Amino acid sequence: MLRLISGRIVTSLISLVGASLIAFVLLRLTPGDPARLFLGQFAGEDAVQALRAELGLNGSILSQYWIYMGRFLSGDWGFSYSTGQSVAGLLLARFPATVELGLFAFFFAFVAAVSCALVSVYRRGPVSDGGVRALSFFAQGVPPFWFGLMMLLVFFEGFGWLPGPEGRLGLRIIPPPTVTGLLTVDSLLAGDWTAFKDAIRHLILPAVTLGLMPFGFLYRLLRANLEGITREPFITVARGRGLTRWAAYVRHALPNAFLPTLTAAGLLFGQLLAGSVLVERVFVWPGAGALVTDGVLKQDFSVVQAFILLSAFIYVLTSLVVDILAAMLDPRVAQSQGGGR
Amino acid sequence: MRRIGDDKTFALAVLIAALLIVGALLGPLVWPLGPLDMDFGAPLAAPSFAHPMGTDSNGRDVFARFLTGARISLAVGAIVVLAGLVVGGAIGVAAGIGGRVVDTILMRLIDALAAFPPLILAMAVTVGLGVGLKTAAIGIALSSVPFFARLMRGDILRIRTLPFVEASVAMGAKRGRIIARHLLPHTAPTMLVQCASVFGYAILTLAGLGFIGLGAQIPEPEWGAMITDGMQYALTGQWWLALFPGLGVLLAVIAANLLADRLEESLNPRSARNQVR
Repeated sequence: MLRLISGRIVTSLISLVGASLIAFVLLRLTPGDPARLFLGQFAGEDAVQALRAELGLNGSILSQYWIYMGRFLSGDWGFSYSTGQSVAGLLLARFPATVELGLFAFFFAFVAAVSCALVSVYRRGPVSDGGVRALSFFAQGVPPFWFGLMMLLVFFEGFGWLPGPEGRLGLRIIPPPTVTGLLTVDSLLAGDWTAFKDAIRHLILPAVTLGLMPFGFLYRLLRANLEGITREPFITVARGRGLTRWAAYVRHALPNAFLPTLTAAGLLFGQLLAGSVLVERVFVWPGAGALVTDGVLKQDFSVVQAFILLSAFIYVLTSLVVDILAAMLDPRVAQSQGGGR
Repeated sequence: MRRIGDDKTFALAVLIAALLIVGALLGPLVWPLGPLDMDFGAPLAAPSFAHPMGTDSNGRDVFARFLTGARISLAVGAIVVLAGLVVGGAIGVAAGIGGRVVDTILMRLIDALAAFPPLILAMAVTVGLGVGLKTAAIGIALSSVPFFARLMRGDILRIRTLPFVEASVAMGAKRGRIIARHLLPHTAPTMLVQCASVFGYAILTLAGLGFIGLGAQIPEPEWGAMITDGMQYALTGQWWLALFPGLGVLLAVIAANLLADRLEESLNPRSARNQVR
């Protein structure tokens, strides 16, 4: 077990070093002198040279990489030219909105995937099975930003049931005092029902849009696992003990189908992270993803570059945690991985 | 066992794919309006007989842009699949037969690439090499390399211990011959499925990059960039600008994924599908 965990940590570290090298090389390939960009075209050559020295741009490639990583790890992610603020500050301020959206999207994806998988395995009819299957293909094939736009067209423009692209709260709603940064939690803490309801209404469309792809992915995974598990002898035993088929599926098959889902959680996380870049802009959601798209529009790539490396770190660390968790929960995983390496 | 061509979903996928391919190849030649021809007399015109998908803010015909967009998306999809298969496949083969050191080095390289969510890696490449359609294709191809490499390595490791390969080694066959005659042909089924699946991934990601402004740039008739262009008009009543290019992406990706699924079922009935993404 310990061997497995330490081995997994080492490989994660190696892939992070590799990933940061890739990010660094791509950063250096970006045309333009960062010092010149920062100071503008009218700055004197002396000032540019001084800043180059300060930024560590004059050393060897290796020392430049070293400085780059040192800065990144100490939380100095550079400076955004278009807003005049530090990238770390900008991203940090935008993070709660992305986290809240991601949580709701994940919740939607999970609940929808579990119910769809159960229904399509339990009622193996052409209608339920085919319908859910079609839905999963749609979820995995639809460009999320386009789907969000179409949802706005139907539910905001068409029926007027849900708010339009105006961010996390309506204009007339006073935001609750910030405690966690998650508006739903903060408004509940403040006992502000109006703000809570408004925050939820604003979350529905973006969360469904962002959760659609993870839903398709999770559904297919869960369904395949459930299929296999319902044929296992212990399900027959459970039925023999007098459980109904439904109870046997929900209580015995479902928990066992979750484990492979857990190991895929890293991938899911990556989908949510990448998806936030695609989805937030459509809903003018003030999160980190929208910050990235704004950066692209303004040709201010410092935010984009920080986000790229940051997402690699988050992605790798989630997979690491999830793999260790899976090994702790299921000794079979620990054995197959520890013995194989 | 069901065979290819037995069911309606498969027929539907083939039909969509055929329509898109024919539209992409012949459409721009047959349709009289060009994707960049402007008609200032008819900006933002609703779909009609003359403009089946309407016109955009500069009076450009959306149908003409849709057809050229299909050409761009399918071409990029094909290029990505080819590049990913060749590069990723070569890495996978080398890792599978090259021995422990080669295997470790190559697979750590693949791990580094796979440390980014795929879309983010493609973004990183376009930011580094300069924004545009070409760099977007390069970025997507690079992000697809791990999909191919890992699958190929697994296949090679499995196949090379099979008795007929060992027999061939024992009879003194050269390494190149073993790879070409014995190993590669047996990886074809899994690779074919992966190609279809990556094809869909490439089209979806290209649209995503175009949408956030890192791929094709706005007057270019690329589906993702067309959706961005149409976004500002969607909620003011001109829904056709964004609707049709999005439908194009959706249909193309669904067709690719259905084909991948169906091929998987018929070619590798027993394997649990190694999911990409």
